[in-house]
Amino acid sequence: MAYTATVDDQQVSCGEDQSMLDAFLRAGVWMPNSCNQGTCGTCKLRVLNGAVDHGDSPADTLTAEEREVGLALACQARLRSDAVVETLGGAAGGGITHPLRDLMATVLGNDDIARDTRRLRLALSEPLAFHAGQYVELTVPGTQLRRQYSLANTADEDEVLELHVRSVSGGAATERWIFDGLAVGDQIPVTGPLGDFFLPPEDSDDGGPMVLIGGGTGLAPLIGLARTALSRDPGRRVLLYHGVRGVDDLYDLDRMAELTTVHPAFTFIPVLSHEAPAQGTAHRAGLPTDLFVDDIDSARGWSGWLCGPPPMVEAGVKAFKRRRMAPRMIHREKFTPATD
Amino acid sequence: MTTTSETATPTPDRAWIAKITMSELERNPYKAYERLRQEAPLAFVPVLGSYVASTADICRQIATSPDFEAVITPAGGRTFGHPAIIGVNGDIHSDLRGMVEPQLQPVEVDKWVDDLVRPIARRYLEAFEADGQADIVTQFAEPVSVRSLGDLLGLQDVSSDKLRQWFGQLSRSFTNAAMTEDGEFANPDGFVEGDVARAEIQAAVDPLIDRWIEEPAETAISHWLHDGMPPGRTRDRQYIYPTIYVYLLGAMQEPGHGIASTLVGLFSEPEQMEEVVDDPTLIPRAISEGMRWTSPIWSATARISKVPVTIAGVDLPANTPVILSYGSANHDTGVYDAPTRYDIKRPQLPHLAFGAGNHACAGIYYANHVMRIALEELFEAIPNLERNASTDVEFWGWGFRGPTSLPVTWEV
Repeated sequence: MAYTATVDDQQVSCGEDQSMLDAFLRAGVWMPNSCNQGTCGTCKLRVLNGAVDHGDSPADTLTAEEREVGLALACQARLRSDAVVETLGGAAGGGITHPLRDLMATVLGNDDIARDTRRLRLALSEPLAFHAGQYVELTVPGTQLRRQYSLANTADEDEVLELHVRSVSGGAATERWIFDGLAVGDQIPVTGPLGDFFLPPEDSDDGGPMVLIGGGTGLAPLIGLARTALSRDPGRRVLLYHGVRGVDDLYDLDRMAELTTVHPAFTFIPVLSHEAPAQGTAHRAGLPTDLFVDDIDSARGWSGWLCGPPPMVEAGVKAFKRRRMAPRMIHREKFTPATD
Repeated sequence: MTTTSETATPTPDRAWIAKITMSELERNPYKAYERLRQEAPLAFVPVLGSYVASTADICRQIATSPDFEAVITPAGGRTFGHPAIIGVNGDIHSDLRGMVEPQLQPVEVDKWVDDLVRPIARRYLEAFEADGQADIVTQFAEPVSVRSLGDLLGLQDVSSDKLRQWFGQLSRSFTNAAMTEDGEFANPDGFVEGDVARAEIQAAVDPLIDRWIEEPAETAISHWLHDGMPPGRTRDRQYIYPTIYVYLLGAMQEPGHGIASTLVGLFSEPEQMEEVVDDPTLIPRAISEGMRWTSPIWSATARISKVPVTIAGVDLPANTPVILSYGSANHDTGVYDAPTRYDIKRPQLPHLAFGAGNHACAGIYYANHVMRIALEELFEAIPNLERNASTDVEFWGWGFRGPTSLPVTWEV
């Protein structure tokens, strides 16, 4: 059974057990979306007429009052009749989207790169169009569990995806799959791209200074974003802070060093929160969000990019605003890594 | 809701109503009005020389009743003269609304409001954004409000400070409402500054009107002179001056009040402040709650009964004026939970800050956008705004209400 959703004169067929967001993105119809977990509210839309099942929409994100006035979370809601809907805010990224797709991928590499951290390289059966900074979903074999991983790729690296995965103690996707059994040559399904964590289109990118702060494997999308920004404007000022607990958690230092050599205005700052930096290294102690406040007097005209644990992201937003970055220039990856 | 019978003479247990003073109301009207809502939601208040409606139900009922029509308060009439758009009815009201409304239609406002207001907001911000401290009322909220409307009206040559001075003078005169037992103004000298302002306004605007009569321009006042008139004729300037004063008081002052009150409310809820700064799409909701929380036009409009009528158990003879206290109605516990708390999360119920009925504010759409754009630009330029905690924010006013100052600081 499928129902038809109409938005802005475009019609999309929605399966009975398919979220509206999934249906829209697969049809190439842009809808603002970010976490796809029902927690960020980015995909909130208004159902002008028609019936929906709100599914697992959390009461915090979609209040009873909002449900009464016809609002719904596109990533959670299933249609129960044909419906007419409208989006609430402006479309992110100028509304430019790439259709959501299901592809098969072959594991090319699954390598330890830091403490409890692996780089997964997936060769796609065919190229996938995406924006640097977006993420994909993997489904844990034999389960319905979906896990989100950011792409470290630039958009032209569209045949082999690079994901950074940190092991979660007891985690179904990590400790019991990616870190235990997933082997080179395995075939796995990949769904993507998703999310709104990406640069503005090139023609509306003002080329202003950027600061990117990643915690742990939150570095992954920032690598894609930084390289994309630098390829657009090789002399652009880009600060990339990588916050980790200790030196064993750092990775991709050579890659960062190479970027620094090619782009003198690019600075990579590894930050250790639980260890004193060894002498003779460029490592710094503390929290990257605090160091940014120390390093930069004014972030007026800058854009900021945050991916990592929620407390780091919240501290980053505060740090950026304290240095007077315009809130609309502050971007954060909103999906929350699974803890089980 | 209490709906006991009431007469023009306070009964002994209502003696407290006769003790209400103007200065008490101007300092903080909420306490007296809370008791009025509970005990006498439609009551004769001697110091105002008028009946007062204080609950949402009664304000809305009277504002939309065919048994009532508009009347300007005595102090308002003394300040503005006749025919001010807020105090007239029938054909004159229709003509004046028809005169002001075309420029204020949403489809019209959308065409120019951003280009009008945003550069003005940016200009005032640039003047102090490197200072690390400011008084938001006098350096931003009021100047943005008056400059935007001033330019719309065609008063580009009148300084923002002069426009702010005029609305202050007119406002104090308009709300110089205290009456004696004999029905005379208790403080006639209080109208002098309004008279001074009107004389200055006429001296500044008369030459512009002279020019616009000959050469129509794309200004609001020029349109008021010409629109809907037979070729070669214009509306008489004395006919439109009282409505110019309505604009130069209320429309100049109140968006500034709304901006500042919304900020004070947000400062009282730091998490909500952070949410709104981070997500500018919440600004309209924050403004709507600010307008409810401290309604800028708190108690400045009135109606008069056309026939004998009974409202909330109170018998009113024909020709009985009733002041509509929208600021009180918007704190009605029959409608709002914990109304004294600023809370953008509360259910979005319609409020009465812009009035109701055929005299509801004609500038709702415009004013909301002025406030929105001002706050968007403020949070864009100074996302780390903090209230200067070393001083309390003081609100003032019974007829019109808002913070008298709002010192803020930020890291530069």
